[in-house]
Amino acid sequence: MTQFTKWISAAALGAMASMAHAADDLTLQLKWVTQAQFGGYYVALDKGFYEEEGLNVTIKPGGPDIAPTQVLAGGGADVTVEWMPAALAAREKGLPMVNIAQPFKSSGMMLTCRKDAGISSTDDFVGKTLGVWFFGNEFPFLSWMSKLGLSTEGGDDGVTVLKQGFNVDPLLQKQAACVSTMTYNEYWQVIDAGLTPDDLMVFKYEDQGVATLEDGLYVLEDALADPAMEDKLVRFVRASMKGWKYAEANPDEAADIVLENDASGAQTEEYQQRMMREIAKLTAGSNGALVEADYQRTVESLLSGGSDPVITKAPEGAWTHAITDQALN
Amino acid sequence: MSWLIAGALLWALGWYVNVRLASLPKSRLTSLLVPIIFGVTLIIIWESVVRGFEIQQVLLPAPSVIAARFATSTSILWQDWVQTVLKGMMSGYIIGCLAAFATALAVDRFAFLQRGLLPVGNFAAALPIIGMAPILVMWFGFDWQSKAAVVVVMIFFPILVNTVQGLAASDAMQRDLMRTYAAGYWKTLFKLRLPMALPLIFNGLKIATTLALIGAIVAEFFGSPIRGMGFRISTSVGQLALDLVWAEIVVAAITGSLFYGAVALLERKCTFWHPSQRS
Amino acid sequence: MRNLLPVLTVVAALIVLWYGAAVWLNTPWAYDKAQRAGVELSTTELIKDTWSQKKPKLPAPHQVTREIWKTTVEKKITSKRSLIYHSWVTLSATLLGFALGTVLGIALAVGIVFNRTMDMSVMPWVITSQTIPILAIAPMIIVVLNAVGIQGLLPKAIISMYLSFFPVVVGMVKGLRSPDHMQLDQMRTWHASAAQTFWRLRLPSSMPYLFTSLKIAMAAAIVGAIVGELPTGAVAGLGARLLAGSYYGQTIQIWSALLVAAALAATLVAIIGLIQRIVLNRMGMAQ
Repeated sequence: MTQFTKWISAAALGAMASMAHAADDLTLQLKWVTQAQFGGYYVALDKGFYEEEGLNVTIKPGGPDIAPTQVLAGGGADVTVEWMPAALAAREKGLPMVNIAQPFKSSGMMLTCRKDAGISSTDDFVGKTLGVWFFGNEFPFLSWMSKLGLSTEGGDDGVTVLKQGFNVDPLLQKQAACVSTMTYNEYWQVIDAGLTPDDLMVFKYEDQGVATLEDGLYVLEDALADPAMEDKLVRFVRASMKGWKYAEANPDEAADIVLENDASGAQTEEYQQRMMREIAKLTAGSNGALVEADYQRTVESLLSGGSDPVITKAPEGAWTHAITDQALN
Repeated sequence: MSWLIAGALLWALGWYVNVRLASLPKSRLTSLLVPIIFGVTLIIIWESVVRGFEIQQVLLPAPSVIAARFATSTSILWQDWVQTVLKGMMSGYIIGCLAAFATALAVDRFAFLQRGLLPVGNFAAALPIIGMAPILVMWFGFDWQSKAAVVVVMIFFPILVNTVQGLAASDAMQRDLMRTYAAGYWKTLFKLRLPMALPLIFNGLKIATTLALIGAIVAEFFGSPIRGMGFRISTSVGQLALDLVWAEIVVAAITGSLFYGAVALLERKCTFWHPSQRS
Repeated sequence: MRNLLPVLTVVAALIVLWYGAAVWLNTPWAYDKAQRAGVELSTTELIKDTWSQKKPKLPAPHQVTREIWKTTVEKKITSKRSLIYHSWVTLSATLLGFALGTVLGIALAVGIVFNRTMDMSVMPWVITSQTIPILAIAPMIIVVLNAVGIQGLLPKAIISMYLSFFPVVVGMVKGLRSPDHMQLDQMRTWHASAAQTFWRLRLPSSMPYLFTSLKIAMAAAIVGAIVGELPTGAVAGLGARLLAGSYYGQTIQIWSALLVAAALAATLVAIIGLIQRIVLNRMGMAQ
């Protein structure tokens, strides 16, 4: 933590009456709102896996106005869920984020297009409007467009990029030919709205060879230099991975746990159960440890961004096996 | 530590200079210098706090960093400005003003409408912009039209309320006088009630200037082409390019202030007779 | 009560327009669906469809009212799906922010009117402060305040205060300066001190301006409270519901949260209007 936050936090803590906890406190910042995408952590919380490890974990949901990297920088959380491209870009900007675990093996990102907009292959992208979320999720898309040789400035020989909101209306209302969707979330919103898979042409980033690593656990470098914190993280990762494997095996129960923890009351059972099943496909094959080959693939994809690469040089020290080695043995 | 001490000293110095300048007879020069000195001291305090407490640049960049980024990104800032201010905000402001005036006149003419429309208008005005913006983007598309629509929705109520209040500002004696001159409704409106309403109308117009800019920027958070100040701000926060965010905020602040100043200047020309313009 | 008939007429006219607009806006999607299913729609079928879509571009009034009914009357107040619970969360932040904003606004206005230095230095910056889009820096404010340990209600109230103090400052400055020279001279002939002139002349004549500004400030305070809910995880409050609805494309949910938020704001503004009428009547400044 910086001098400033240390100083003020000490004053604030001193002013507050705090109960002594027998368990260690840890705060996790999620990348998005409470949903099955983060089922493993909620399962670990509800089923007592964190308690077994002597941890008192607070899960903070994310949202459209919350940049997990910023919360980490401001000391609002000890560990955050983030996608690797955003974390590497933040690292280059001066925020020393380190990947300590990678529960998600495969990427769930895809571009969903309407067949009646004339899209049947990537060659048809030229001159069309494509939707992207931004806020950290645009990096894989920009790399892909660069690989296809398409300019994102619009015009007849490029694509027009739309900053889409958080739903799939641009596709439904024909304002865009394609929108970015996740296999576990927005794609099903499109299906729920009435379009059938026959009406749609989907391009999975995994199939296009531009997939990047998604949900991973990140901390700041100085957390790893502190042995007490390191020990907490080891226990945290161990319990979280236990939660993830449980969620994979019991998707419906995990979905119910997520629903109970949803403070906004906006989620539905059907939606979360379906999401949990799709997420289970993405976490399958990972025991939590980051596979270096996957990491290299992501870095190469980001470096090859042509004139506007996401990162300008290969990052150093952006990941560590130190936590997962101890947690998973 | 030295940064903090320097900052505190410069702040005290700035305040002292301002007090001396303010006690001089008020001239165009002093009216400009005092706020500028105040602003400069604020910036100096900001810089010294950021450097003195070593706050991370991804949380709060120092003004020097922001200025550097501003200088290198003028083309981006310019195209964003054109998209948001000219296309979105100005068109929305003009449409909103005209709509609000027309409605206020209708409300004034027909007491029935006044009793019926104003309460409903109160309700409609209370629709929070955060909810209206995604709906308007859904209806009007992603380009500047939805931003103009958001601006219209935001400024309609303040201007309407102030205009209706202003039209009631003339007192009974003055209206009776017009009656003795056999002036009809429209003559009374144009020669007495509208001029007397101007102070309150301008009150509404000034409030609307800031609301219009905010509306145009916020509307872009919910969907936009990849241009525009709101777009740049929201995506740059995600990319942790906070210096670009603050550069855009600086542009927004300058634009808003100039817009407000222009309306205030117009107000001074039109309502020179009101006590608040003479003190 | 004499307002009742006009209000009802206007509301009825609006509802008719609303149904018409719903047909107009939802028709493209209805045709789209029919085309994909390969059926032809008669006019009555089309109209029925546009008024009962699951995710319409413009929900019909009965759809919205049914949703509001479901989430207010048919739910326990403490349930997280109850709009009443969320309304309370937003209301608490709004009231605190409004109170803080009014106090700050009046204090600044008094300072600006009475202190030359403040008038020349602070007023331009007050105006500039409003040009900074709050939605952009709200996340930063929340992050910084959280880092210092201030969480929960206060950060949201601070953002609400930021938006609501400006109308109060502008209105009060105008109001405190509204007594004309004749009246100020009169006070001088009575050997009134600056404080007496303030309490007996300036403050009373600023009341109409103050109440107009308070109404606008209340609406701004609610917007601020909603904006403040977004960076805090969008878990509770009407803003969170709006966002959740927008996120999942649940237009009916958006509209129901929107109408409840508007109803909340309108009620608060009406309360201020009532207080305005009572106070101004007692002061003999009835309008």
